[in-house]
Amino acid sequence: MLLALGHSSLLSAQQSPNIVLILADDLGFSDLASYGSEIQTPSITALAEQGISFTNYHTGANCAPSRAMLLTGVDSHRTGVPNIPEMIPPEQAAQSHYAGILGHNVVTVATLLQDAGYHTYLSGKWHLGQTPDKLPSSRGFERTVALADSGADNWEQKPYLPIYKKANWYADGEEYQLPDDFYSSRFLIDKTIEFIDSNRADGQPFFAYVPFQAVHIPVQAPQEFIDRYEGVYSDGWTALREQRRARAIELGVVPADTPMVQMASTADWEALGPERQAYEAKRMAVYGAMVEAMDHHIGRLVEHLKAIGQYDNTVFIFSSDNGAEAMGEPQQNSWSNRRALASQGYNTDYETLGLKGSFNAINPGFSSAAASPLAYYKFYVGEGGLRVPMIIAGEPVAIKNQLSNASTFVTDITPTILALAGTQHPHARNKGWYGGRKIEPMIGRSLLPLVEGSAGSVYGPEEAVGFELAGHGALFMGDYKIVFNRGTQGDSQWHLFNIQIDPGETHDLSAENPAQLQRMLGRYQQYVADNNVLPIPDGYKHEIQIIFNGLHHVYRDSILIFILLLLLILPFWVVYQSKRKSKRAK
Amino acid sequence: MNKILKLVVALLALVFASIGLRWLVAPEGVAAEFGMTLMEGLGLSSQIGDLGAFFLSLAIFILLALTTGRRTWYYPPIILLGLTAIMRTMAWMFHGASLAVDMIAVEIIACIILYLGSIRLADED
Repeated sequence: MLLALGHSSLLSAQQSPNIVLILADDLGFSDLASYGSEIQTPSITALAEQGISFTNYHTGANCAPSRAMLLTGVDSHRTGVPNIPEMIPPEQAAQSHYAGILGHNVVTVATLLQDAGYHTYLSGKWHLGQTPDKLPSSRGFERTVALADSGADNWEQKPYLPIYKKANWYADGEEYQLPDDFYSSRFLIDKTIEFIDSNRADGQPFFAYVPFQAVHIPVQAPQEFIDRYEGVYSDGWTALREQRRARAIELGVVPADTPMVQMASTADWEALGPERQAYEAKRMAVYGAMVEAMDHHIGRLVEHLKAIGQYDNTVFIFSSDNGAEAMGEPQQNSWSNRRALASQGYNTDYETLGLKGSFNAINPGFSSAAASPLAYYKFYVGEGGLRVPMIIAGEPVAIKNQLSNASTFVTDITPTILALAGTQHPHARNKGWYGGRKIEPMIGRSLLPLVEGSAGSVYGPEEAVGFELAGHGALFMGDYKIVFNRGTQGDSQWHLFNIQIDPGETHDLSAENPAQLQRMLGRYQQYVADNNVLPIPDGYKHEIQIIFNGLHHVYRDSILIFILLLLLILPFWVVYQSKRKSKRAK
Repeated sequence: MNKILKLVVALLALVFASIGLRWLVAPEGVAAEFGMTLMEGLGLSSQIGDLGAFFLSLAIFILLALTTGRRTWYYPPIILLGLTAIMRTMAWMFHGASLAVDMIAVEIIACIILYLGSIRLADED
């Protein structure tokens, strides 16, 4: 009943709204113009003006867990995707809930919308399973063109890392060959438009999920977009981080005087020679171009919806799967890196950077600018890894051009979409059963009260939301957050921050408020127990594990064949040698 | 000369053994190399069972020939490879199959090498 009320009070139109869920990949907190960026994103800004922009929204720290939570409203550990399969150590992978593949104990929002009479489309990155029963065509999406891997080239059907044999694209459950004129952002919107148009006549609402490849590595963009950012980044990453912080404060995205740290991975820009500075600026120019190209194609989708008369009944949700990526090589065009990339058919030449055949990723220095004014990046649970833009907008949304700093989480998106569609999760409806199997309940909350302006928050000050990834841990409660970052960037210590006034996590309150820290640590332990979070093996490093798992995946068959071959030949070799010896003895 | 011939014959055994094991471990890739898509059900059973056994048998016969020095062990792989080449040609003539010139050539060359091996490397009749 409440859901039905929410549905009718939000929407100006009587019918169920179309829903377009757009997910950028690795987009940093301040990468949009409306969040403080110098990158031109007019289409997203126009959407933001038609709704509400969330400035305290948290997602997962890497790809697949975030996507699993986004599409189910369930904690990543309960979906079977507590980490990406490429990063899961064998000690954890042996457990069924650490498969890194979306389990059938959860139901996707697409399945539930399909049940509610929606057409459901996916065009973009999936990364939640590759077997026929785990592809999106088996998880509630009626029409799909989906990338099963963690990423891929944006210009052609080619893997971006040697851990993949090929770029695994599927259309409607079948292997798919990309067209020759492929550029990821353009192609994904073209397919979305094609899907929408294919069922336009029947008058049913649609749910279109558009998980872009932009701006995941390899960072690539069309030349005409790159040209617009020539020279924009010549002042370097430290200046850009400060510039974005100032702009975010001006826009009200973060509090006035928000302090920020300098990440240890940020090198001294002034110490670089002019040639190196020009190269680093070009790397970032391609990044800006890739973001703008994505925005341009989002604009095409919006224009198309207007042209076919569907815009007025469409709600848009825009976000990113995690914070900015800082895995780019500090010296991308070093001799060793160029040799390694050449073996994959890539170059890193300045002139063609970002174009077809070129491999590019931004320097970690510019990653810290993409996350400005936050600390840390993707793979870490600092705010830079978890806090990303999120916008709910469209003609049916009553509130226009507002910011909300309410605590919100990726698990809130599915409940919100279900409320928009006026339907319920089957856990509530059928006592935990769906399609003859037991399913997990959602932990997220509908954000409609915030979108309608009927409430200032959907979580009480004592309600806690936890997150764990590969031994990194975080818990949010009211204005506070406790955070534990391990690995090469972290210090493996718990810290306490008030992220409402200090989103940059500069002032650790552990010593000043030990009672709050202990209380939240207790809640985190409860979260670990409730979600069966497994400990990380000693010495685990995600960078090493990705290489190990990748090599295992690519060379497993060859190694097995080699071992079997040895076993087959060995007895013949022994007989042959013993025969030779006995011959010599005679 | 005999040492080189022995090495070439051993190499043949290794190649056939690898192909046989690939049918067992990673059939999709090797099926494509033989112009086949991987089938399902009984078809898959026949593909992996028959073709895997064919290539592993070839390898084992050749290894037995090399280790025992008995000439008779050279004959089964010569017969198998020779018949394969003949039947490929008949498949082209009577059933509209592609004339797999490259594969037929490899099979005939392997037959010749094994025949030479039976003459020069075998210890006894």
